Amino acid sequence: MQASIGGKQKFNLGKLWGIFGGVLFVYLFLGFMVIPCFNTLTSVFRETDAAGNPDPFAVIRFFFAGKMPMFLWNSIRLAICLVVTVNVVGISIVLLTEYFDIKGAKILRLGYMTTLIYSGVALVTGYQFLYDQNGLMTKWLAEFFPRMNKQWFTGFNAVLFTMTFACTSNHALFLRNAIRGIDYNTVEAARNLGARPFKVLLRVVMPTLLPTLFSLTVMTFITGLCAMSAPTLLGYNSINPEIVRLAGSSVADESFPQARAALLSIILAMCTIALLLTLNHYENKGHYLSVSKTKAKLVKQKIQNPVANVLAHIYAYVLFLIYMTPVVMIIIFSFQNWGNVRNKVLDVSNWTLSNYFGNQDYIYQNWKGKEMVSKGAISGVFGNEKTLGGIRLSFIMSAIAAALACVIVVIAVNYIFKHKKKKRGKLVEACLLFPWLLPTILICYSFRTFFNGNVFYVFGQNLYMKENVRILIVLAYMVVKLPFAVRMIKAAFYAIDDELEDAARNLGASQVVTFLRVKLPIVLPSVLAVFALNFNALFSEYDMGATFKKAEGTTYAMVIQSMCEDEGRNNVNMNASGRRCASTVFIMIISGLILYLVYGVGARDLGERLAIREKRRKCIEKIKGKLGIAHAAAEEMPKEEQETAA
Amino acid sequence: MIDLKNIVVRFGDFEALHHINVDVKEGEFFTFLGPSGCGKTTTLRTITGFIEPVEGVVSMQGNDITHVPIEKRNIGIVFQSYALFPTMTVKDNIAFGLKIKKMKKEEIEQKVKDIARKVDMTDEQLAKAVSQLSGGQQQRVAIARALVTEPAIICMDEPLSNLDAKLRVNLRNELKKMQREFGITTIYVTHDQEEALTLSDRIAVFNKGYIEQIGTPNEVYNHSATEFVANFIGDINKLQGEIVSLMKLPEDKVHYIRLERIAVKADNGQDIINDGQGISVKGVIQSQEYYGLFIKYTIETAGQTLKVVEKNDGINIYEPGDHVVLRIDPKDIMSY
Repeated sequence: MQASIGGKQKFNLGKLWGIFGGVLFVYLFLGFMVIPCFNTLTSVFRETDAAGNPDPFAVIRFFFAGKMPMFLWNSIRLAICLVVTVNVVGISIVLLTEYFDIKGAKILRLGYMTTLIYSGVALVTGYQFLYDQNGLMTKWLAEFFPRMNKQWFTGFNAVLFTMTFACTSNHALFLRNAIRGIDYNTVEAARNLGARPFKVLLRVVMPTLLPTLFSLTVMTFITGLCAMSAPTLLGYNSINPEIVRLAGSSVADESFPQARAALLSIILAMCTIALLLTLNHYENKGHYLSVSKTKAKLVKQKIQNPVANVLAHIYAYVLFLIYMTPVVMIIIFSFQNWGNVRNKVLDVSNWTLSNYFGNQDYIYQNWKGKEMVSKGAISGVFGNEKTLGGIRLSFIMSAIAAALACVIVVIAVNYIFKHKKKKRGKLVEACLLFPWLLPTILICYSFRTFFNGNVFYVFGQNLYMKENVRILIVLAYMVVKLPFAVRMIKAAFYAIDDELEDAARNLGASQVVTFLRVKLPIVLPSVLAVFALNFNALFSEYDMGATFKKAEGTTYAMVIQSMCEDEGRNNVNMNASGRRCASTVFIMIISGLILYLVYGVGARDLGERLAIREKRRKCIEKIKGKLGIAHAAAEEMPKEEQETAA
Repeated sequence: MIDLKNIVVRFGDFEALHHINVDVKEGEFFTFLGPSGCGKTTTLRTITGFIEPVEGVVSMQGNDITHVPIEKRNIGIVFQSYALFPTMTVKDNIAFGLKIKKMKKEEIEQKVKDIARKVDMTDEQLAKAVSQLSGGQQQRVAIARALVTEPAIICMDEPLSNLDAKLRVNLRNELKKMQREFGITTIYVTHDQEEALTLSDRIAVFNKGYIEQIGTPNEVYNHSATEFVANFIGDINKLQGEIVSLMKLPEDKVHYIRLERIAVKADNGQDIINDGQGISVKGVIQSQEYYGLFIKYTIETAGQTLKVVEKNDGINIYEPGDHVVLRIDPKDIMSY
């Protein structure tokens, strides 16, 4: 016999719910993670030869004979180069704002952090706006260097440049936290022992950042390997755009396109798994933990050498300009009329809101000289049905997927914590982290191919057909976001003291009441943060929408991407570029608002909220008091003076 | 009031409690004292219902509650961390148990106000978040929350361990005062012997899942039942060699004496004697620790080192190297 925790176990409603939850979890895990991906894996080996005989290695032979290794190599080349460039820029921006004493560090930090609200397809199109052959910067540079290649911003260079500055968000967040966690006493100790500032940075500071840097390097490598929006929009033949192209191709055009797409997805998955295992192995080896009992806050280091100091300042502000210019230009041009935006000419005397709210007709003369009207050809983000439709669809799908991911993960993590020492707890966690091993493209491709037929366990429906694709996108969104939600929400559950649950139970609360009234309110800020961050990422995401590529599932990012393709053609969509600028500004506002709500408002505990409420109440009372005094004084005033005061 | 009979608790193959028997009387302040891992918290959790014993019976007011669910035991708990719900105000924390019992709003309001007054909490404090309170105030909230549901007994699991030394002493006194005022049976868990001695009516000293002794503070301190209790409670000297033979103590036993039971005097040249009422032995002061109220000396004597505590009278203060005479009375010796 063994001691059991709590009272006698009875078969009750709670247990029934438990069984129902377990069955549902198994259904979701097998049906929407394992089976579709397994189908993709096996599809590679299900091809037949010309005679119709099974030829399991046909695709693999084709892989080595055809151009496919080139796509793989291109992705690897991009990933390797990105690791170098992103780390150089990422480490620079963190050292410049957190470690060295650079004038205007606060403003610089804001600039470097713009990628948090401005990323993905919006960022790529923003860079295009500046640097493509008609781009503002290219034009400006061409004035100084007339012989320069105006089409420099395409292919590998453009992708590397764009992604270098787009992928430093993680450095800005995590490396910054790591450097802030350094005990300044260690720096002082090294200086006291005779180390020069550069030696201190190299031998004392950098080693403590290595674990974080290693994680960031692996994540950057995976990002480069799985890059989608930049290679697609800037024209670079890497794996992901090729998978999407093959997925939409047919056997009439080329040999076994689907199986090739599947093989590329699997190669990507294998690379990702290998990298994550390396990361895990490294993390398990342990970190450099601070042994300080009383940590001293890092004091910014002055660069003593005046030349180095000036160079560091120049470098910091050049980086700032690279980060800020697209953001500022996009904002400015979103208020310019369609002609100025298309010609990329800034007219400071002419501002408009037509890119936001406009719905004007375009009047032109046809080849016969007859005046024609194109209805609604100049329309803003909120006046254009197609854009509004994209916003609406992305909003609804992202909100549902983010909410579902949170609900599933909160319930599952509660279960994991209840059974943390048992195998079933660990199994549930492993299932939820499973999508982390697979590239997003593999999951979406698997969904697209597997559910493009009548699948019995989704009631015989074809989920890729017509509006059903929206369900499929929501499911894909949800699955892809589960691992992030698990990591974040699990961390929040660690903050719950076991004694709180004991206290609630001792005071008579049932397990459900304890969960709803004690545990959930504690983790709620984190859950809402995860919801907001997932929503934020999904609302403007491009990769998954592009993989599904279905008219009924055209997301906001896809609308932005396709907006300019038909700009001005047949005298429609005259202000597509302007609308794209306005769309980007709208995304930045939404992302900024969400980040403020999550890290500004949401991070406050009850004490802080009550203190703010109290402060507000006192402020109102003060104003009321002043008004009351003014009112009383006014009543005592002669009528003439009252009129003058009024 | 609370009766534990032959309680055995096992975690897998590990037996945490071996046939524990405790009888806590009504209105008593009863302390479970012992080092970490001795089974005191396990015993408390068995009483509160978080752990179900594999053998034995837990009774409260004569009723068997061994298998009664936690929430139906009517036992209040003050946790080590206080376990105050951080997302609720002080008032909501106190009212939580009453709301679970689905009491009327007005009744809840009244009860919360009454208990808040008893633990010296103002209306302003009731509206605050628990994070806005000091450690001492948080402890009062925890006590109020445990008491407001009018439990038959209250259990406290090291509630002072998270506080600094000065606050701990202050709150210890308040705790005792409150317990007297409420007159509620209290079971208190601690590893701090000073806390146990100052607060308790009776103490159970735990060791490796057994109870070594149950008694009043005076009994466990001055008449420790086992060698473990003698060593665990307070500081003590083990007598060896020459002193044991001089005092004609049985050599098959071990002999202990408390520090304050040895008297120190300046050396007057007298020889070592055993006058039947005790012995006087010569010694040399090795070191001195000055505590203000008293002074602790380490003295080399009769082939061993003894620690002695003397009241600081401001006159008889000895320096290292001073020759002194120690007086030991056989009635102060505890032998095992």
